[in-house]
Amino acid sequence: MFEKLMWVLVSFFVVYFALDLLWFRKRAKRPIYQQRLINILLPIGILAGLGIAIKEMTVYLFLQIFLLNIAELCVLILATTGIVLIFKTSVTTNFAQGTIATVGAFTAAKLVIYLTKNTALTMVPKLALAMVASALTSFLIGLFVDTVIFRRSKYLSSVGKQMITMGLVLVLLGLMPLIFGLLPLTIEQFSYDGKMIQLTEEMILYVPDHNILTAIITVSMLTVLFLALRFTKWGLGVRATASNETVAGMMGVNTRLITALSWGIAGAFGGVAAYLYAPLGTQVTVSFMTSVQVNSFLASVLGGFSSFGGPIVGALLINLFASISSFFNSVWTSVIVYALVLILVMAKPLGLFGKKTAKKV
Amino acid sequence: MLGTFWKEVRGTLSRVVKHPYFGFILLGVALLIVRRFAELGMVSPSLYKSISSMMIYSIIALGFSLLLGYAGLASLGTAGFVGLGTYFIGHFSGTLQKPFGITLLVALGGAIVLGAVVGFVSLRIEGMYLAIITLGLSEILKEVFKSFTAFTNGVTGLTFRNFMMFGKPVPDAAVDQAIILVFVLVIIATLNIINSPTGRALLAMKNSDSAAQSMGIGLMKYRLLAFVLATVYAVIAGLLYMADIKFSIPGTWSLDFSLNILAAVVVGGAQSILGILLGVFMIFGLNMTVLQNIPFFRQYPDATWILSGVLIILVTMFYPGGLIRLLQALRLKIILLVRNLRKRWRKYRYGEDD
Repeated sequence: MFEKLMWVLVSFFVVYFALDLLWFRKRAKRPIYQQRLINILLPIGILAGLGIAIKEMTVYLFLQIFLLNIAELCVLILATTGIVLIFKTSVTTNFAQGTIATVGAFTAAKLVIYLTKNTALTMVPKLALAMVASALTSFLIGLFVDTVIFRRSKYLSSVGKQMITMGLVLVLLGLMPLIFGLLPLTIEQFSYDGKMIQLTEEMILYVPDHNILTAIITVSMLTVLFLALRFTKWGLGVRATASNETVAGMMGVNTRLITALSWGIAGAFGGVAAYLYAPLGTQVTVSFMTSVQVNSFLASVLGGFSSFGGPIVGALLINLFASISSFFNSVWTSVIVYALVLILVMAKPLGLFGKKTAKKV
Repeated sequence: MLGTFWKEVRGTLSRVVKHPYFGFILLGVALLIVRRFAELGMVSPSLYKSISSMMIYSIIALGFSLLLGYAGLASLGTAGFVGLGTYFIGHFSGTLQKPFGITLLVALGGAIVLGAVVGFVSLRIEGMYLAIITLGLSEILKEVFKSFTAFTNGVTGLTFRNFMMFGKPVPDAAVDQAIILVFVLVIIATLNIINSPTGRALLAMKNSDSAAQSMGIGLMKYRLLAFVLATVYAVIAGLLYMADIKFSIPGTWSLDFSLNILAAVVVGGAQSILGILLGVFMIFGLNMTVLQNIPFFRQYPDATWILSGVLIILVTMFYPGGLIRLLQALRLKIILLVRNLRKRWRKYRYGEDD
């Protein structure tokens, strides 16, 4: 019964989507009822699809896979938040976010090697120090990039700024082997143990400690960021700069400082993300953040750049899609995820939570 | 009698020399001569190999410039499209030993379909978001290259043997000549597109969508056309790449490749063919011919990317027209300087005019 209902809902969505794509879009202006219809059908369709998939793979397996993937989800959320923060203040999509973060991860890995050789610190403080170093390095790089490059290219078009960040990717990719050597490095997890969670008599879920710690770090960082955006002067400045940089400057907001700090904080978020991502079965190489970078871009496009919450929901959706499709077909996981995201973005070009900003000519 | 004949010959000659194709055909002839020299051993084979790679990269960059410089669409899907071209020829002509005509048909068909799909996406998603979405498409293609082992031989890479054309195996010399021929043909085609109503429509679309639409330019038609053209160029370049280098691995077709093509187009000057050739030389050619011989760069091959990146940043910040504009400005300065000097010389020689 449940399954049949879900299928009906999904097919509603699919039919409407096809109609929308092929026919409704060709009109110059869409009536409001169509917009409302798609706004209602989209979440219902997504939720129904997820419901069918979860029923198929059983709730227990779904929860278990989700808990195992939670570290990747947190990394994705951190990286996405950094990208959105830069978008808010500099009105560009930062392609160098992942690469700046990689520099941080390299510094952390080198610091761990140095500390092991020269001091007698135990594992946990050593790794905590390394994480702070990773965040700090990326913070400084972000600050440097803004003060040296972006402050001077304020009047470029957003595509031009985007190209500058692409150039930055190439510069950092070339510099990293010179500074850190050609060999890949490793970062250890804080602990390789895990916790058992007993839900019912026969349902026991396993969570690695690293995932719990990652979740705690992510949630606390996001809480601090959102509180800061809401209640501090810097947050007010960011919101003012996001709405209109020139007017904010005229009203006495120090937009230079705000933008520079935003770049630094976005870099630091990326640095922490890279540090937490490195022990998840990969090594620190020059391009190990590329997949996270691509995913976080897609998450921000899916959620819509206009809010901070939307991209986080986008990251959650992408992670859900990935964990569900990895159960059904592990080889084609990323293809399925990318295709789903592309279809959703085609339905809502401004993102699920995006708002259209009116343009005056 | 003879006088008028010479006059006619000179007139025809000057018309031929002034024809826009002349320089590029001359370039093709010069490249053929260089290839002959390489056969005779006067030019080292590795240098010639890098020249032919540069020609292939120029074909990709020309297609990309139609997108970026003319239609104003920033796309990062280039690497995926080129990779697709290499696998088309590698699978159909290499593994299955089908005749080349079938490969070409399949490749062009695939390119047109793919380009139309991306163009359709570009109608929905504009500006900055398009780069992200095309990056996603390129990643999909890369994952397909990795996972679809029957077609691409997976992560170990596909090696290409000699292929058959008209029932005979194709020698390497013919491939070299074909690259030069296609290079010149692509330049001429691009020149024609740029100077035709299509090129002007693309330019109009770049400057303002709404204005272009109100002048009667259909966005759908021209965006699809721009993407189809860029994809066809990229797939043709992929075919040539595979015929020339004979090996393709999914790792090559990653973001770095697209970014380097973008660098070549932006650095050289996105709206001029000479500029793109210059850009390809700055980004790829300098690396392959000069920097590889320096021990430092041989130890750290990725360090050459610093140069590309710095060039992109500087050119975008300070010289949006590209290096070719810088050269043109320099040329103008030199002409003015020469004129000035001549004036002074006349003044010195014949005295002031009263």
